[in-house]
Amino acid sequence: MRTYFRNVYRSLITILIGMRQTWRHLFTPSVTLQYPHEKWDLPVGTRQQLFVNIDDCIGCYKCARICPVDCIYIDTVKAKPDEDLGKASTGNPIRQHVVRFDIDMFKCCYCNFCTTVCPTDCIYMTDKYETSVYDRSNGIYHFSKYAPDYAAKLIVDEKEAEAAKAAARAAAKEKAMAAKKAKVAE
Amino acid sequence: MFNNIFKKQRYYFDSEGLLVVDMSPSSAVHYQEAVQAATQDAGFSGEDMVINFGPQHPSTHGVLRLEVVLEGELVKKVTPHLGYLHRNFEKHAEYIPYNEIVPYTDRLDYLAAMNMNLGYVLAVEKLLGLTELPERVEYIRVICAEFNRIASHLMAIGTFGLDAGAITPFLWAFRDREKILDLFEWLSGARMLYNYIWVGGVARDLPDGWVEKAKEFLDYFEPMMVEFNNLLTHNHIFIERTAHIGILPADVAINYAATGPVLRGSGVKWDLRRDQPYSIYDRFEFDIPVGEGMYGPVGSAFDRYWVRIREIEESVKILRQALDQIPEGDVFEAIPRKIRPPAGKEAYFRSEAPRGEIGFYIRSNGSDIPDRVKCRSSCFVNISLIDEISRGQLVADLVINIGSIDIVLGEVDR
Repeated sequence: MRTYFRNVYRSLITILIGMRQTWRHLFTPSVTLQYPHEKWDLPVGTRQQLFVNIDDCIGCYKCARICPVDCIYIDTVKAKPDEDLGKASTGNPIRQHVVRFDIDMFKCCYCNFCTTVCPTDCIYMTDKYETSVYDRSNGIYHFSKYAPDYAAKLIVDEKEAEAAKAAARAAAKEKAMAAKKAKVAE
Repeated sequence: MFNNIFKKQRYYFDSEGLLVVDMSPSSAVHYQEAVQAATQDAGFSGEDMVINFGPQHPSTHGVLRLEVVLEGELVKKVTPHLGYLHRNFEKHAEYIPYNEIVPYTDRLDYLAAMNMNLGYVLAVEKLLGLTELPERVEYIRVICAEFNRIASHLMAIGTFGLDAGAITPFLWAFRDREKILDLFEWLSGARMLYNYIWVGGVARDLPDGWVEKAKEFLDYFEPMMVEFNNLLTHNHIFIERTAHIGILPADVAINYAATGPVLRGSGVKWDLRRDQPYSIYDRFEFDIPVGEGMYGPVGSAFDRYWVRIREIEESVKILRQALDQIPEGDVFEAIPRKIRPPAGKEAYFRSEAPRGEIGFYIRSNGSDIPDRVKCRSSCFVNISLIDEISRGQLVADLVINIGSIDIVLGEVDR
């Protein structure tokens, strides 16, 4: 019986102690932000949506290689010897057309590895975080500056040039063989 | 006769030991009857009832399913079923280079990602024989690990209060945890999955003014803990609710290889930071809090909670010393260009995460991809205690017992 009343007494007292804390906090400003209307100040270097400044990209594949989830897809076409693609803003010469630079932001794990290895600092994380989309295909971001048909043409051109080169090489080889044969026959 | 047919056709146990009842329209058997017959066959009296607790339940702290055998309201047996959050960490780690595994370790114990990073990175450094690190790196690592320990314990004690029916302390704990996450966001750019501690260094140096802000936070935080204790810890209803349940004797805890606050709550003074000092923990002065059994038997759910409260205070002590002593220096100079340990070399390293010992075993095959990575998870070991500590107690206390073990399913399932 005594324990019962002691328990009741202690419970009441400790609840009152707790209520005192709550009462005091009733008059302090709220810590809650009304999110869609108010927003946080994000610090410098926050890791949200990825962005690529494609004018500076030299197509070195470093970001695609270090990505732990393989969410960066790059295709490049080598520039022709007489073509000058200029330089990146850091001074690195650009030697290839980046015909495809896609980032699948659904796969991205925001680990920040790609931005640390980039030699021209052209891939970086922005402070944009409201990136929900209605369709899965909209989560894949295309950064290449080449129109799809022009990119396809570049790829075909490269393939043709390679084929022509290979044919020329084969022809040269055949010629050499023929010459050798002729020499042996002589 | 009917019983035999009933037993053979209407239900069976699948490979996991789960009861499957034929519920086709042609079978005129009531589900409850089938369950009763099945539990009788399994060796329980007809009064027993098997219920599934979870996987989607707010107090299982993730996707954990407990198969609970009840006799009335008393718990007779609890069997945890795991694997709902399995992400194949160990096998996946055999296909990616050492440094790229670090983001995956974030996702083990996502409430204490810095400690997971640190455990893995120290294991790789042991494998590489990389012992000489810049002083600043060591200090930054300890500061991050201790801050994350506070954040993780705040989550643990907050949700523990929630399990006991107290909602306000949870929100207060989250308010302070948010401030730590803000510090981490300023430091690493991310709020939860930091990928901050790298092999041989850290990802970024401390920003200007970070140390001052961190000290400011500690000054703000210590009175807040007093308030928190007034609100929840010393509340008599809360004490009566938790101090007599989930009793884990010290020998049982040791036999089950329990670690962390679960072990220390039973009165065993074992902390790797003091007993096997790694990094620079031997330079700091701090106590190892253990369960004292203030309001009931030693090793109760309250003791485990109390150890966490005390550990937050000890972490604040370590942080104050570390923030005062942190030297200047270059944090990137020791990051190796290539991580290629010699073939056949292996290393096991364990460190003290907020929930217990996290151990990484790594074997090298000479390339930049590990041959084998094994993660010894503390939560996985601790969850096996759930049957031991909740047997013979009320099903309402089972919720508190889960909360007192403080599991993170990301680490249990890996």
